[in-house]
Amino acid sequence: MSGRLWGEDPGLLAPLGAPTDELAALERDLVDGLGLPETELWDAHAHLGRDADGHALTADGLLADLDRFGFAGAVCFPANEPGADGQFADANRRVREAAAASGGRLVPFCRLDPGMPWDGELAAAREAGVRGLKLHPIAQRFRPPDAAALVRAATDLGWPVLIHAGYGARPLAGPIQTLLARAPGARLILAHGARGDARAVVERLGDRDDVLFDTSLAALPDLVGIRPERLCLGADRPYGEHATALQLVALAARVAGWDADQLRGVLGGNLLRWLA
Amino acid sequence: MTRAEAVRLVAALAQCEIAMVRRDPVAGPLLAQAARAAEGLSPGPLVAAAARMARLIGGDAPPEAAAAGRKVAQALCRAAVQEAQAVLLGEDGPR
Repeated sequence: MSGRLWGEDPGLLAPLGAPTDELAALERDLVDGLGLPETELWDAHAHLGRDADGHALTADGLLADLDRFGFAGAVCFPANEPGADGQFADANRRVREAAAASGGRLVPFCRLDPGMPWDGELAAAREAGVRGLKLHPIAQRFRPPDAAALVRAATDLGWPVLIHAGYGARPLAGPIQTLLARAPGARLILAHGARGDARAVVERLGDRDDVLFDTSLAALPDLVGIRPERLCLGADRPYGEHATALQLVALAARVAGWDADQLRGVLGGNLLRWLA
Repeated sequence: MTRAEAVRLVAALAQCEIAMVRRDPVAGPLLAQAARAAEGLSPGPLVAAAARMARLIGGDAPPEAAAAGRKVAQALCRAAVQEAQAVLLGEDGPR
């Protein structure tokens, strides 16, 4: 494998005197030892652009990452860069353009703030062939039930809705249940295995067919308590990276005793069914 | 890795993770301690490399390079934590 090391540019690591050969060997050994089955790999969670916190990833960079680890494609959406309009217009447009140039490998989701006027940006996304909605209750400071109108509109378009449910999340199980009740027919992808409130969320929502959990930067003890049919692999580039994302799913499969078909579903099939 | 060794390592690395996220200078010493806890165990090389990265970013490293180095250390720790958690959850290893 060549390219980034543990998600980072070797050119940035060199000035530190980082042992790049050793880092490359550790990463290669990790991935080579996973024993994953041949299947079409899809990443449910990738950010493009430059986040306010400094994390950045270009479409070319993401495609190089996908190539390196043998992924067919990824769902991608803007980083937290709402722009002057507060509604991610420029960032969403850049994601759409990147997706259009990717030959189908990058599946664009539209990122919106439900607390701002969203009709125009949603219409632009629909016209441009966007396939889903991304919401971040922490970054955009809203409670999940307050996004019900936007989630209903996305559901009317046939879109799944991916919601941040990781670090920083407040109690989630009740608010997500309320959101689902207010947006009948909605399909939610709870990011990060809902690790922000995993015990309650899995207990109350883990068996629902309208909820998927992405595995990006999730916790292994949480994932092994979720039925594999309800999981989809994610890496959360550029916050996470693909080596440990694959390791996490491989370990969950071994610990929980998933069969090969269940594992293939987590690695791509479950997500593809929702994107169809 | 025994379960006791895995518990020790997971606890140590959880502290390291928060320290790195908060860019707390205690991350370096905590990682060095975690590396000693991991010595001779299967995640040992991962934690040792993370500790080395923490030392490299501790000086006058350019901000972009330090950020990249910190992310690499976090990823190495993540790999080690996941391996240790798998032992605790019943994959491989003596009880």
